Amino acid sequence: MTRRRSLAVALAVAGALAAVPAAASALTVYGASSLRDALPALDGSPRYSFGGSNTLQLQIERGAPADLFLGASPVEATALYKEGLCTKPVTYATNVLTLIVPASNPAGITSVGDLRKGGLRLSVGAAGVPIGNYTRTMLGRLRLTSVLSINKVDLQPQVANIAARVSLNAADAGFVYVTDAKLAGSSVKQVKLPTWAQPPVRYEGCVVKRNGADSDGASAYLAKLTGTPGRTVLKKYGFGLPKQPKKK
Amino acid sequence: MTERARRAAPVTLLVTALAVVVAFLAVPVVALFCEVPLARVPALIGGRQVREALWVTARTVAIADGAMLLFCTPAAYLLATRRFPGRGALITVLELPLVLPPAVAGVALLSAFGRGGLFGDALQDAGIVLPFTEWAVVLAILFVSSPFYVRAAIAAFETLDPVYREAARSLGAGPWATFRLVTAPLAASGLTAGWVLAFARGIGEFGATIIFAGSVRGQTQTLTLAIYDLIESDFDAALAMGILLVVTSAVVLVAYKLVAWRRTRPVAARR
Repeated sequence: MTRRRSLAVALAVAGALAAVPAAASALTVYGASSLRDALPALDGSPRYSFGGSNTLQLQIERGAPADLFLGASPVEATALYKEGLCTKPVTYATNVLTLIVPASNPAGITSVGDLRKGGLRLSVGAAGVPIGNYTRTMLGRLRLTSVLSINKVDLQPQVANIAARVSLNAADAGFVYVTDAKLAGSSVKQVKLPTWAQPPVRYEGCVVKRNGADSDGASAYLAKLTGTPGRTVLKKYGFGLPKQPKKK
Repeated sequence: MTERARRAAPVTLLVTALAVVVAFLAVPVVALFCEVPLARVPALIGGRQVREALWVTARTVAIADGAMLLFCTPAAYLLATRRFPGRGALITVLELPLVLPPAVAGVALLSAFGRGGLFGDALQDAGIVLPFTEWAVVLAILFVSSPFYVRAAIAAFETLDPVYREAARSLGAGPWATFRLVTAPLAASGLTAGWVLAFARGIGEFGATIIFAGSVRGQTQTLTLAIYDLIESDFDAALAMGILLVVTSAVVLVAYKLVAWRRTRPVAARR
């Protein structure tokens, strides 16, 4: 009886162990946090890992079994390419920065200049994550870099967290992409930023090179993303599109 | 001030302190249940991402706990029943993950098994990829939760009177039969208590997992990671998962209390 029970336990453990490698066969796409709704809408079958592009880059450098990397700037894909960890990067989308405030706008912010009054709870991308780098570039152009020191700044590792903090009223304002403002819907209000201060926001991705990678599946996904199906979905979610699906 | 009033004053202070502590610890949990209509919880948990996270959590915790019982029980038995030089130091090493911040555990696992890490390259050459896979979740859970079990198991084996073991051996039982028929049943409730603690720590794992395993939906995204992922896009789903974890934790805690209660009873009955 006891022996039979321990045999059953052993079989159950072995079965559970066997089930894990079998689950690892789907195409694995590592995507920038701002793509978290657009990519599953394009194709629901791959496994997705969304995060800050720089975090995903680090994970791939550390041996993460990704097949396709889709970043929110050229920096990460280019670095992976130079390290021989992926193919030549391809531009597949563009984006625009915006300032969002909670729908109730507790701090009464109507322009980016209002951040100069200081003491506000500001949610900003950490240095290194694309949204953080873009935000700093833009604030530099506006000569408003000081807003990062005179306000209570909360640094986030990915853009989704910034949108979350503002929509949950945990921040008075935050810098995100227009696509995030669109996803957050009526829980936030947008404060337009001057067009001349906008940095070019180019999304680049590449097919990961590693032993056992599903390169064919990744290439097919990338072709779909840069082709008509991808462009339709990206446009629907508010992304800009590169002129043609052109190679860098 | 009368004698009675003087005595009552400290009691009032104590009761006030207790009320503050209870309110502080209970209010967030109560608030969680108030925030989302409970009738919608089953529907929310039925969503794809939540279902996948639930399945990932169940599978990884099951594997980790299976491996933990398999390896840590004999290891704890050896440490509890033998005295040898360096034993104390060895136990301290095994207990270290208990006091290690989970984020540090994640970085440590990455430096051990990630590409460019201590064993990462050798594993990669052998075609084994651990970081950011479901195995990474299992390893992270094992790393942070098994010390709870090891500690409890050592304590459970140590409190056993060697007389039972010696009696079994003298009656002709081999070492394996002695362990299976005498030692293990006597230590069972202590082992269960340790397992319950390790299990609770395992399903709540977050820090080491997000660093060492990432947050791949359907593969490494456990319930706690899914809460973090969904908090902004689907706050209600995050709340529903929170409720699921609160209920699981409460069941585990009650089970632990029952085990502890039963453990104290038979000992008294035996005397």
